[in-house]
Amino acid sequence: MRLSRRMRLGLLAVGLVCVIGAAGVLAVLFGVFQPSVVSDAVNQPLTPAEMAQLVPRGRYLTLAADCAACHTAPGGAPYAGGLGFALPVGTLYATNISPDPTYGIGQWSRADFQHAMRDGIGPGHSYLFPAMPYVSYRQMSEGDVDAVYAYLMTRQPIHQASPRDSFPLPYMRLGMAFWNLINLPSRGFVTDAALSPTINRGRYLVDALGHCGECHTPRDISMGMIPGRYLQGATIEGVDAPDITPAGLARLGFDAPTLAQFMRAGLGPQGVTTFSMYEVIEHSTRYLTPADAEAMADYLMQGAPPPVVVTVGAVTPGTEHGRQSYVAVCAGCHGLNGVGVPHVAPAMRTNATLRLPSDRNLMRIMSDGLPAQSFPDGEAMQPMPGFAHLLTHQELVDLAAYLRSTWGGHPPH
Amino acid sequence: MTIPHRPMSLTVNGKPVGPIDVPNDMMMLDFLHDYLNLTGSRFGCGQGICHACTIILDDPVEGAVEMRTCVTGAHFFAEKRVRTIEGHATRDAKGDILQLTPVQQAFIEHFAFQCGYCTPGFVTGTQVLIERLRKTPIARADVEKTIEQALAPHICRCTGYVRYYEAIRAVILSTPGLVSG
Amino acid sequence: MNKAKLSRRGFVLGGIAAGVAIRVNFLADGARADVIDNPRDARPAWIGPNGKPRFRMDAVAKVTGDKTFTRDFRAKDMPGWPTAQSNALFIRANRADAAFESLDLSVLGADLQPDRLVLGEELVRDGLMPPDGAVVVAPGFYGDRFLVLKGETPRLLGQPVALLIYHDFPQFAAARRKLRFADVIQWGAKTGYHPPPPYGAGRSIRVGGATPADADLYAPLTGTIVGGTFDAQGVVWPAANASGNAAEKAMAAAETIAAGIENAGPDALVLQRRFYSQSVDASAMEPDNGLVWYQADSGRLHAMIATQSPYEVATATTAMVAISKFKLTAIDLSIGYTVGYGTKDHSIFPYYCMIAGLYGDGRPVRLANDRFEQFQMGLKRHAFWIDNTLVIDRKTQSFEAMKGVFRCDGGGRRNFSPEVGFVGMVAAQGIYYLPRSDFSYEAVASRAVDAGSTRGFGTLQTMSATEIMVDEAAEILGVDAIALRLKNVLRTGMKNSQGAIAGGQLRDDELLVQMQTHPLWTGRAERKAVYEAANPGKRYGIGFAQVHKDFGSVAEGAITTLTLDPTGLLSMRQHGNDMGTGMTTSQAMIVAAVLGRAPESYTFGIVDWPEMPLSDEGTVGTQADQDALAQNPRWTPCFLTSMSSSNSAFFIGHATREAARALLRFSLWPAAVAIWSEGAGGGQFGPLSANADEIRFEDGHLTAGGLEPLSYARLAKVAHERGLITGVSVHSFNRWQFSQAIFDVPTIGTMRLPIDALSLRFGDGAGGFRFIDRQQVFYPEVARMNAGVTYYSGMATLVELAVDTASGQVDLLSHHSLLECGNQIVPELVSGQIQGGLAMGIGHALHEDLPLYEDGPGNGTWNWNRYRLPHGRDVAVWTQTTTVLPPLSETDPPKGMAEVVMIAVVPAIANAVTHAIGKRFYATPITPEQILEALS
Repeated sequence: MRLSRRMRLGLLAVGLVCVIGAAGVLAVLFGVFQPSVVSDAVNQPLTPAEMAQLVPRGRYLTLAADCAACHTAPGGAPYAGGLGFALPVGTLYATNISPDPTYGIGQWSRADFQHAMRDGIGPGHSYLFPAMPYVSYRQMSEGDVDAVYAYLMTRQPIHQASPRDSFPLPYMRLGMAFWNLINLPSRGFVTDAALSPTINRGRYLVDALGHCGECHTPRDISMGMIPGRYLQGATIEGVDAPDITPAGLARLGFDAPTLAQFMRAGLGPQGVTTFSMYEVIEHSTRYLTPADAEAMADYLMQGAPPPVVVTVGAVTPGTEHGRQSYVAVCAGCHGLNGVGVPHVAPAMRTNATLRLPSDRNLMRIMSDGLPAQSFPDGEAMQPMPGFAHLLTHQELVDLAAYLRSTWGGHPPH
Repeated sequence: MTIPHRPMSLTVNGKPVGPIDVPNDMMMLDFLHDYLNLTGSRFGCGQGICHACTIILDDPVEGAVEMRTCVTGAHFFAEKRVRTIEGHATRDAKGDILQLTPVQQAFIEHFAFQCGYCTPGFVTGTQVLIERLRKTPIARADVEKTIEQALAPHICRCTGYVRYYEAIRAVILSTPGLVSG
Repeated sequence: MNKAKLSRRGFVLGGIAAGVAIRVNFLADGARADVIDNPRDARPAWIGPNGKPRFRMDAVAKVTGDKTFTRDFRAKDMPGWPTAQSNALFIRANRADAAFESLDLSVLGADLQPDRLVLGEELVRDGLMPPDGAVVVAPGFYGDRFLVLKGETPRLLGQPVALLIYHDFPQFAAARRKLRFADVIQWGAKTGYHPPPPYGAGRSIRVGGATPADADLYAPLTGTIVGGTFDAQGVVWPAANASGNAAEKAMAAAETIAAGIENAGPDALVLQRRFYSQSVDASAMEPDNGLVWYQADSGRLHAMIATQSPYEVATATTAMVAISKFKLTAIDLSIGYTVGYGTKDHSIFPYYCMIAGLYGDGRPVRLANDRFEQFQMGLKRHAFWIDNTLVIDRKTQSFEAMKGVFRCDGGGRRNFSPEVGFVGMVAAQGIYYLPRSDFSYEAVASRAVDAGSTRGFGTLQTMSATEIMVDEAAEILGVDAIALRLKNVLRTGMKNSQGAIAGGQLRDDELLVQMQTHPLWTGRAERKAVYEAANPGKRYGIGFAQVHKDFGSVAEGAITTLTLDPTGLLSMRQHGNDMGTGMTTSQAMIVAAVLGRAPESYTFGIVDWPEMPLSDEGTVGTQADQDALAQNPRWTPCFLTSMSSSNSAFFIGHATREAARALLRFSLWPAAVAIWSEGAGGGQFGPLSANADEIRFEDGHLTAGGLEPLSYARLAKVAHERGLITGVSVHSFNRWQFSQAIFDVPTIGTMRLPIDALSLRFGDGAGGFRFIDRQQVFYPEVARMNAGVTYYSGMATLVELAVDTASGQVDLLSHHSLLECGNQIVPELVSGQIQGGLAMGIGHALHEDLPLYEDGPGNGTWNWNRYRLPHGRDVAVWTQTTTVLPPLSETDPPKGMAEVVMIAVVPAIANAVTHAIGKRFYATPITPEQILEALS
């Protein structure tokens, strides 16, 4: 998610200069603002009793919406912001959303919060950057946003300013008005009467709270999500966010129950979550109720073919060199036959990373390694070392080919 | 022997070893222990976690690299040069110790270890650190942090790490050229 | 601790296995441990010019990768052994709720089948059962089966069901990889669990007099520790009867305490809290292992075993094999350096190694756990459930009464479970005087991996709970937590919860007073405010706790022999061996303190003592038993104890010091007087009135009262030439008090010494040692067993930490500890023990946790990724500080301290987390998840 936003904004910065120029005319033509999805009812503040009642639900929704991933910097105070998104033109910082009156949202009204979350417009009519996934949160229900608001207001106020964005173009925020005209849906979430309540709940969790598309849906030149390629996977900072359409997930070896389990556990036969998805598990999906995780999985897997089973046979001719490297530096943990070590090292036989269409993520992991990661229920993975300094590029390529052909279902090279 | 194997040669502590027939899938630690009778590198976790089994790979490009032998195949080291704990101190022809390395000397003088099971790994990790600092010195203010990071994966159950880390700091500060400024 | 092993050697050697020769060596002969065995110079290199150790005696061997641990040895390293070695492994049960039916080893294919497969039925047929009967501490100590029989349900998770032996190493290595995590056991019908019956229950009840000085109305020391029995509902205590037997009187006293708690008025604070202390794996870096070679024709059993209790291994193996079909004429046991933190003391593993050797078809067999197997089989620290009630007078803030009900889970083998419960029970009072107390323990059995002797031995669990409770009481009462402790601290002369008075000055109050003025404590409020302002999102806390802990057990036997050769070189023989604590180094320093120099040569780990022909045959149940047995001048209540219970400095050190003193008075002094008296008129000695008290060593020379300093070489020459005493061997015994005996020492006279056996060598020692039968012996009274403890070392720890409210992580910023342990023998070793103990305590408080049953270590999938040991970054390496309280004088004994140092930090961390976030935690470890939950 962090990577995604960084990337998104990177291109955005470049693209915006053009957009702003071209849109000068449009600005004149469209001297109106985007339609709000927020009702007038929010102008009425919530009573303390109403607020208090919303807190438990708000806590859950705040987790489901993964606010902490961006608004809590590593090692930083909860919801105090400060996580930086380094972009080619400057650094954007996540804001302090703790209820501190000076630096946080302590002075925000219920309506302020609703407009920020769902219209992308903060108090004082300041436009948010879409690093804040308000395009997705726009689909959240008014009641859910109220609950998040109520919960955040119970957090410890952190009297700490977020670092100032170092954007060279202060008027870029204004430009977001035009970006919103192109990319912001006019309506919030609409229940699909043709689908079961569970599937609707799943779609709500995926699209609104989980904002999965922000990473998994590719973006166009304006950095808007391309509706026609919904959840088909995208490449962000050199890492593939996989295709999570039903077919894509089946290709990775998931069915609905295993996907639901995977989202709460962060690991399974498909391997361990890596890169930004690990943070999503760590801060968000691990806290989902089983019912919600199942609803998400049911929605995502609708109409999926049966999960792909890769038949493991003999070493594919042409990958013997890769096999030698595997035995030398991988098999100690992942097993000679790719079965892994329970609770210690993931299996290769069923590993989703090997099944991805490209070897991008695999090469990255083999080269740079992975940090130590903890998962729910006491599961913990030691760091995986990188091998870029021990294997030549060709050896890494051969190793990837061996892994992908043996257990990923790909033809060698 | 029905187990697939092939010959390998390597250089251990400056001496050529092999060719020896070694099973294709044997781990280096088993090879060191049960083929070469070099048992100083210790089996701790068998999964690359505790770093009691590490040795130095002297890579022509990378220099000294710390390797976990419990999860690295023996054949990975074919035609390579390695240093095990037995090869750090200077020895005479009979194998008796003539002189310890500064790292070993500091460890014994600081009473750094107790049971000593993890000590070979700590000597190895520290030696690699020292050789790295020789190439890229660090500022005085970064010494403690650098030690923490470099030795972070090494587990010791007896000592609480204090005397190890203090000994390492003493070596770094007393060896010319490791600390800049 | 209460390892009430009162009879072993006599039974073994005089009973069923008479005539079996037992020999135990430290390290195999020919091992490269020359730093210990063969010093090249007169002065060992490890001793500096000032006579202090420059480094540990074992340092060079350990830092250069020499073979030092048992694990390092292969058959080819063992002199006289065949070089072709086999390797063994177990198939272990990963469930304990169904009957074992059969094995399916097809996963190994035809190529990797074992050369020898041993199943439980074969062991039963051959008469091999875990050592039992009088040879071990108690019936069922090691369980009833080595290997699960077909049709039987495993007693515990991880219990071996089959032993596989491979002659070829590559085959073994390949098979082992294939079998790891493989399901090769065919299970029959579900049977439910099948643990042994509960292991034991006990209760220590005391009602003090009107003041601490008054006689107790009831106390175990003068009454009894009450034993509990079990019925289907749980533990059953005797009925109360104020005029009944000792136990019934105790129960009546308990009723008055209960009534007092029940009827406590509003002036009393009655605090009731429940605690949980988790199961922990000691995680000694060297996993259990052994190497055994059995020669069937001659009946010789050779073994190299990693153990803290070689004497126990040697003697119990003898008994075990003697009743089997295997012929046994001699046991030749070697031990290496090892490490276990208690878990290699009285572990069943060595006996499994012996079994492997017996079925090796004449080849040496090595059995060595990997880490998964070690988790699956290694002894654990007991999980404790604690239910405490503390009654405090709100006005005076005095502790009025305390009740503690403790349950510990011993898993599927008895081991030391009741003893751990007992020791935890008697420690539960912490550092406080309690006018009335009622503590009880219940050691239960389960299918969990067996728990046993592990650093802390129950006291970590119970004292941590007490210290967390006292901190909460202070908060409720609105008083300074150290001030409340000072108000109630156990002072010198006050009785412990068994009614016993501790030996020597109690100095807990001094520790409290010092810690109360530490800047971390006095400035805690201000520091909290400053830190939290500077670090948004972090919560800062200071926590304090203090404990004192016993060291040693109810039966401590030790032997040291010192001999002087004709050239003046000193040699030392000792039964102790080094588990990393540095005891070999410190025992040498104890000699140096008396004799002005450390010995030049050493042998440790000795079990075979021709110079000390003692027996500990016979059971001491009553005072009359002991009185009768003690008539035999060659009897002792306990021949040798294992290396455990923080016992080396005080107990083994006592034997060493007495041996050195004896050598000084019986050998060096007479030799010196002989030299000084040469010549007319009594020589230079005649005109002076020097006596032995004036002996001083200057530059390695003996002088006294202005007499000519004499070198060891001169003294030794004279002693040898004139047939004076040139070697002494002493045996000491302690049961919370040292035994004493009167000896008529040839050439010296009659004297009373704090030892119970003495053996002497004269002149060139041609005739060997001469055992000196004691004339009279004074053993500690048997009732001393009920004292619980009388030796305490104290440890206070202040912890400074920050809680990250976003992640729930606890970051230890610093900690400061104050230890009271008498005189330090080698301060560097003491400080290393402190630092190591603190790290282990930190692990217990914050990181280490094991589920007990199916998800736990018995399933064979645990390693140090999930079980997180403290790393360097977790222990505040650079900021921790320690002070050792100066001794009262240079004559304070050195006290055992390796366990006490790990305890105070556990409740101190819990109390600091509470100070940080305002929530209390009653279970360890305190995890980020729990903290986040508490904060939400």
